[in-house]
Amino acid sequence: MSKIFAGLVAAVMLMPVGARAQGAIEVMHHWVAESEIEALSVIRKGVEAKGFQWKDSAVGGMSGANVQQALRARLTAGDPPGAMQFLGWEGVQWAEQNVVRDLNDQAKAGGWRNALPPQLLPFLTAQETFIAAPINMHRQNWVWANKKIFDDAGIPIPKSWPELIQAGRKLKERGVIPLAMGDESWQVEVIFDALLADLNGPEFYRKTAIDLDPKALGSREMVKVFDMLREVRGLVDANFVGRDWAVATGMVINGQAAMQVMGDWAKGEFLAKGLKPNKDFYCFPTPAPVTSFQYLIDSFGMFKVKDPAVQKAQIALAETVMDPAIQKRFNLIKGSIPARTDVPVDEFDDCAKLAFKDRAEAIAKGGMIGAMTHGFASRPEFAAVFGDVAGQFFVGTMSSDEAVKMLVQGIENAR
Amino acid sequence: MNASRQSSRLAAWLPRLVVAPSLLIVLVTVYLFIAWTGVISVTSSKFVPVYDFVGLEQFARLWATPRWHIAVENLFIFSTLFLAISIGLGLLMAILLDQHVRAEGFLRAVYLYPMALSFIVTGTAWKWVLNPGLGIQKVVNDLGWATFRFDWIADPQMAIYTVVIAGVWQSSGFAMAIFLAGLRGIDNSVIKAAQIEGASLPLIYRQIIIPMLRPAMLSVVVLLSYIAIKSFDLVLALTNGGPGAATELPSTFMFSATFRRNQMGVGAASAVMMLMTVAAIIVPYLYSELRERNNG
Repeated sequence: MSKIFAGLVAAVMLMPVGARAQGAIEVMHHWVAESEIEALSVIRKGVEAKGFQWKDSAVGGMSGANVQQALRARLTAGDPPGAMQFLGWEGVQWAEQNVVRDLNDQAKAGGWRNALPPQLLPFLTAQETFIAAPINMHRQNWVWANKKIFDDAGIPIPKSWPELIQAGRKLKERGVIPLAMGDESWQVEVIFDALLADLNGPEFYRKTAIDLDPKALGSREMVKVFDMLREVRGLVDANFVGRDWAVATGMVINGQAAMQVMGDWAKGEFLAKGLKPNKDFYCFPTPAPVTSFQYLIDSFGMFKVKDPAVQKAQIALAETVMDPAIQKRFNLIKGSIPARTDVPVDEFDDCAKLAFKDRAEAIAKGGMIGAMTHGFASRPEFAAVFGDVAGQFFVGTMSSDEAVKMLVQGIENAR
Repeated sequence: MNASRQSSRLAAWLPRLVVAPSLLIVLVTVYLFIAWTGVISVTSSKFVPVYDFVGLEQFARLWATPRWHIAVENLFIFSTLFLAISIGLGLLMAILLDQHVRAEGFLRAVYLYPMALSFIVTGTAWKWVLNPGLGIQKVVNDLGWATFRFDWIADPQMAIYTVVIAGVWQSSGFAMAIFLAGLRGIDNSVIKAAQIEGASLPLIYRQIIIPMLRPAMLSVVVLLSYIAIKSFDLVLALTNGGPGAATELPSTFMFSATFRRNQMGVGAASAVMMLMTVAAIIVPYLYSELRERNNG
């Protein structure tokens, strides 16, 4: 019944589209915001220019959890979409179920291996086989600051977390909320991820967030991370309950708050108000002796299908996604930077240019690490434990030692 | 002759034929999936279902998860207070409305109206009302009482009580409606007789009328327990399980374990625990109901 209904809906949606297309590909994704749809249409037009038809299948909500559910249902019913937007380990996990198509031929022909940072490969390959094509890269560990507030208070851009806390206290005395954020666990975890690498170095981040080394998880360094997180709590106002990240960004924009620690999707909020980087607002990486680049990428994976027309369309989509010109145009709209490292930077804004520079440095110096909050470090069952502990610690009165103990036990229990 | 026999056979089969599809649908969509969840709970399933056997490992993991303990504790706090306050308030409102007040129909509608809202709407509205920077606290502060604090929703120790407030607001009118119907069913001559005997009104209510409301009480308890256990959407809209994990309930735990944390086995184990809890309440109730019917 529902299948017939879905079929009818699909048929109605497809009717007006041209009949000349060589094949159609259904692309499942969770991009429903205005800038996201606009960015996606760059890829769509690229695929259509190659003579294929694009069936849009957007399932929004719950940060992509809804689309995952929809996909599971489709795969169980034996009717997978042609392509799917992947976040974190999703692509690799589906590859383990042997339902994802091999893209090695396209990767070899397109020289993907040389064009992409090697740190991304664990999320794009399964046993040396390319299973997804990445379109963009966001950086999670940014600080967004209101330039006027910083300049009026005579505060320079902080070079370390103690400096940032100090600056925050000074701002608080001036009646400004130093740090805008909400109480959602993932927002706390964004700061936690940054502290993990900033206070103890990217190597410590790798040992804890990626390798889950019990010794590092229970170390004094981890206690230090929670101590600093407690200091950060002191910079946040009491009304942070249920505050959306974009509302927090709005507080920085209108001068209620001075800073926000958030990924570069926050930049879109500034740009939408016509504000310019380094003129109206500052963007700088979370302060550390060794600056890390905490990335997250969106990629497209293709499912194994029988229809040869869809198979051809899948190749066209993979080639479109990896086209440097497409990556440039897509990312100019989306606010991220291209996943490829060989795209010219000229047309991007100052924040993106800084991201390009920091990324090149991070790749060379070992600071390139996946953002745990968005699924690019340990697998979800472990990453969720970090989020739980950081979230509960932040809103409650738990001591740092208790938090570390809870973290070690939680990780052990999830193994 | 033949035709009438056929029609009588049809008459015998027709009820079964008519009931069969719905029975089949219920068997498949409810009981088959309960069984399937039970199976998953003893497997090592993570991202997708795997059909192996690991015994009670997932249950051990579940009970070693602090978040689950919070969820269970919250369910007890929430359902006990939610039931007690909704019943208490509902009964009080019903008794007051039963005093033949003017505009009773209007008042009844006012109290019952929250029930017409979905929990999502209730949760979202109360989220703003309870937010210290926007709602009650701000209004009172702006009126001049600057030290007034009402920030339970931001306090991990108190947040679960805000869920109780929102739940009671929504459901006490419903309890009232059922009690009011019960009160209307009580014969006036009973009260008259008690008054002639010299009993005071509070005594009449305590000793005669409230005990006579037992059937209504039973319906209210069963229906409200059911609402308490499925109050997933209320929590999701009001606090989204936060601050931290302070308002996690077994239902929200089950959803996040299964769909967000790659722990399908743990999620299934928590679902089985919930089923057993509900069964522990419902089975004795059904048993006593059925026994009464057999006797009568």
